[in-house]
Amino acid sequence: MLEAVHLTKRYASLPAVQDLSFALRPGEVLGCLGPNGSGKSTTVKMLTGLLQPTHGVVQFDGHNIQDNLADYRKSLGYVPEEPNLYPYLTGWEYLELIGTLRGMAYWNMQRKINSLLELFSLHPHRHASIGSYSKGMRQRILLIAAIMDNPEIFIFDEPLSGLDVTSALIFKNLVQALGQQGKLVFYCSHVLEVVEKVCTDVLILRKGVVIAQDSVANIGQILGQSLENTFLHLVDDVDTMSVARDIVSIMNTKAA
Amino acid sequence: MIAGVVDEIFRRWEEHSQRPFWRMVGLFVTRIFRGGGDLDAEGLDLGVGLVLTLLALPGGFVSILLFEKYGTLLQWMRGATNIDPFASAVPDEYFFITLSMAVTGAVAVWRWDAILPDRRDYMTLVPLPISTRTIFFANLVAMLFLVGLIAIDVNVASSLLFPLVVGATQSAFFFFLRFAAVHALGVVLASIFSFFAVFSALGLGMAVLPPSAFKKISPYVRALIVFYLVTLLCTSFALPDFLRRLPGSPPAWTRLLPSCWVLGFCQSLRGHADPALVALGRLALPGFATVIVVSFCVYTVGYQRHFIRIAEMIEGGSSQRAAKKSRLGLWFDRWMLQTPFQKGCFRFVSKTLFRSESHCLVLAGIGGLGLVLASQALLSAFENGEPAGKAMVSAEGLSIPLVLAFVIILGLRVVFEIPVELRSNWIFRLMLNAEKHECEPLARKVMLVTVIPWVLLVFLPIYAYFGGWMVACLHTLIVLTWSLLLTDAVLIRFRKLPFTCSFPVFQQHSIVTLLGCVFGFFLFAVVTPQLESWAFVEPVRMIVFVPLAAVGWYVPHHIRQNAIDVERELIFEEAPARAVEVLQLGD
Repeated sequence: MLEAVHLTKRYASLPAVQDLSFALRPGEVLGCLGPNGSGKSTTVKMLTGLLQPTHGVVQFDGHNIQDNLADYRKSLGYVPEEPNLYPYLTGWEYLELIGTLRGMAYWNMQRKINSLLELFSLHPHRHASIGSYSKGMRQRILLIAAIMDNPEIFIFDEPLSGLDVTSALIFKNLVQALGQQGKLVFYCSHVLEVVEKVCTDVLILRKGVVIAQDSVANIGQILGQSLENTFLHLVDDVDTMSVARDIVSIMNTKAA
Repeated sequence: MIAGVVDEIFRRWEEHSQRPFWRMVGLFVTRIFRGGGDLDAEGLDLGVGLVLTLLALPGGFVSILLFEKYGTLLQWMRGATNIDPFASAVPDEYFFITLSMAVTGAVAVWRWDAILPDRRDYMTLVPLPISTRTIFFANLVAMLFLVGLIAIDVNVASSLLFPLVVGATQSAFFFFLRFAAVHALGVVLASIFSFFAVFSALGLGMAVLPPSAFKKISPYVRALIVFYLVTLLCTSFALPDFLRRLPGSPPAWTRLLPSCWVLGFCQSLRGHADPALVALGRLALPGFATVIVVSFCVYTVGYQRHFIRIAEMIEGGSSQRAAKKSRLGLWFDRWMLQTPFQKGCFRFVSKTLFRSESHCLVLAGIGGLGLVLASQALLSAFENGEPAGKAMVSAEGLSIPLVLAFVIILGLRVVFEIPVELRSNWIFRLMLNAEKHECEPLARKVMLVTVIPWVLLVFLPIYAYFGGWMVACLHTLIVLTWSLLLTDAVLIRFRKLPFTCSFPVFQQHSIVTLLGCVFGFFLFAVVTPQLESWAFVEPVRMIVFVPLAAVGWYVPHHIRQNAIDVERELIFEEAPARAVEVLQLGD
C-alpha cells in the first residue's frame, strides 16, 4: 500500500501542498484532479521521491520511502508531465539505458523492448534519434520505459499528452488492466472523462488542499452531476460560458 | 533644435525597427546568440553582453602583456637602443591575426546550428503572411550584422592597445595612426575571413550532401576545424621567425595558411614586407573575395535545400541500422562493468561524448592542443639529427604518449563538467542511488578506456621497434601507471554522473586548481620522461619510480578516506559556496 500521511510542501514560505493524506491500495487506480497550480505536480514529485516533503511522509508498505529510496524506486514506474529525454539517443538506446539501470537481465530486456516497441507502433523508428520524434512518440517511449520492468506502483502525470487516438485508447485499457492485476496506479490528469473512465477513486486538489476524495461514483453523487460538472463546481468559481462570450466579443471589436 | 533632430531620428528608427523585416532581423540575431540547434536543447546561455566581453578579453590581455616587451625603459635596460618597431612587431601582429581568426572561427563553429533558420523558425514564421524570400534576407542581414559585431568586438582591444604599445617607442603620432589603421584592417579582415571560411566549409557540405549524411559528418568536420584553429594558434610563435628566414618565394604550404596572407597584406601596406611576405600578401584579397562569394552561394543553396524543405524532413524516415554489440563489448560489459549503474551509465557517457556536438568540440579543441604539444615534442626529439632509435627513447621522444594521456584525461575531466540536457536528468535522479559511490569508478573507467588501447596498440609496438621490448614494456608500464594515478588525482571529490549536473560555480580554489594542472603537466610529461631516459641507461634505476607512484597513490587515497559521507553523495546541482555555513546542530 502507498500512503501519503499529512504531506505538506512549502517553497520558501509559499505552501504548494498542505496536509495531504490518502492511501492507495493494490488494485486501486487513484485519479488526481485539479486546476493549474493546485499542487498536482508537487504531489507527484513527493510520491516519486524527487522532492522531500516539508512535513509528513510517503510510506510504501509501512516504510517511509525516504529511508530507502533506491528500493522504493525499483517498484516504481513513472511517466512525467514533460517528455524530457536525451535527444541524441535513439528510442532503443534510451530504453536499453533504463532497462540496464533497473538491473533487468540483458536478453529479457531486449525481448521486452522489442515487443513493447512493436505494440506501441514505434518499432520502425527505434533506431532514429529521439530528437526527431514527435511529442506523442516521446510520450510512448516514456510509457514503455515506465512499464517495461513490471513495477508495483505506477505514477502517471498527464500520460495522454500528445498521444494519438489509438495509443490513448490502448493506454486507457492498459491502466484498467494494471488495476485489475493488483498494481497501484496514481493518475494525474486534466482530462476528466479519462479519469472518470479509468480511475476507481478520485482526489481533487485546489490551491494545495484536498477538497474532495472518494470513489468516482460517490463523487458524482455529491451533486448528482457528471464528474465534469462536479469538478467545476468544486474547483472553479468562474462562469465559463460568460468568459467564452467575452472572448468572442473582444475578437469582434473593430479598430477605432 | 538639435534635441528635435535627435528625437526625430529616434522616432524614425523606432518606426523602422518595428517593421516586420527588422523585427525578424532582431529575432534572428537573438537566436544566433542565444538559441538554435535542437528544439529542446538547453544550451549554455551566457547572455549577449557576457559573450561579447569574453570574446574581447584575450586581445586586450595580450596587448597589455606586451607593454613589457615594447617599454622603452625596459628595452634600454636590456641594451636594445635601436629597434625597428615594424620588424619587432611582426611576430606579435601575426599572433593577433591568428588569435582573431581562431576566436571568430570558433564562434562560427559554436553557433553554426543557430546561423541558419531552424525548424522552430519554420514552424513559427512560415505560417505567417511573410514570404520565404523575406526570411532569407532577414537572416542574411542578421548573419552579416553578427559577423561585423564579432569582428569588431574580438579586435577592438588589440586594435587600440597594440598600436599604442608599439607606438610608445615613436615620437610621431602619425606612426601610431598608420600602424593602428593597418593593424585594425588586418585583424578585422582576418576575423571576417575566418568566419566565412568556416561557413563555406560547413555550408559546402550542407549544400552538396543529403541532409542526413550532412548531419552525421557535421560534428567531425567541426571538430577538424577546431583542431585546425588550435594548431594555427599554437604554431603562431614559430611561424613569423620561419617566414623571416626565407630567402625569396615562400614554400607552397605557407600559401595554405590564410594568416600568412593577412600578415603579408599588412606588411605590404606598411611598405615593410620582404619578397616572401609580398607574395603571400597578394593572396589576401582574392582569397577574401572567394570565401565571401562561396559563402553567399552555399547560404543560398543551403537555405533552399534545408529551410524550404523542413516540412518534408520532419516526417522523414529513420535509419533502420542498429549498432550491434560486438563480442568485445559483451566481454567488457560482463567483466569490466559489474553493476547495472556502470553498465547503463558507461554507455550513456560514451554516447554523449560522441554525439553531443558541444562536448565533441571542446574535446577536439583540447585534443588539438595535445597533438600540437606532442608534435612539438616529436620535432624536438629529432631536432639534433639523432638517429630514430635514439631520438624516440630520448626524454622528448618518451614524453609523447605521456603528453597525450595527460591531455586526454584532463580534457575528459573538463568535459564531464559540461551538462547536457539538464531537464532530462530526472531519469537519473529517479533511478540512481545517491549513497552508492559509483560515479568515480565509472569516470575512471571511461578515462582509462580512452587511453589504454592506443598506448598498447600504437605506442608499445613503436617503442619496441625503436628501443627494444624492454624499454617499450617499461615505458608502457610507466605511462599506464601514471595515467591511473592521474585519474585518481583528477577524480578526487568527483560525485556526479558526467553531463547530468549543472555547471560548477567559480570557487576561490579554481585558480589553485588551474595552477595545479600546469604543475601536474610539468611533473607528468616533462619530469617523468627525463627520469625515464636517465633510468633506461641502467634499468635498475627504474626503482626510483616506486616511491613516486606510492606517493601518487597515497595522497588521493588519504583524501578520499577522510571524506565524510555527505561529501561523497551523488549530486545533480552544484551549490554555490556559502559565505556562512549553518551547522544545524539542533536538527
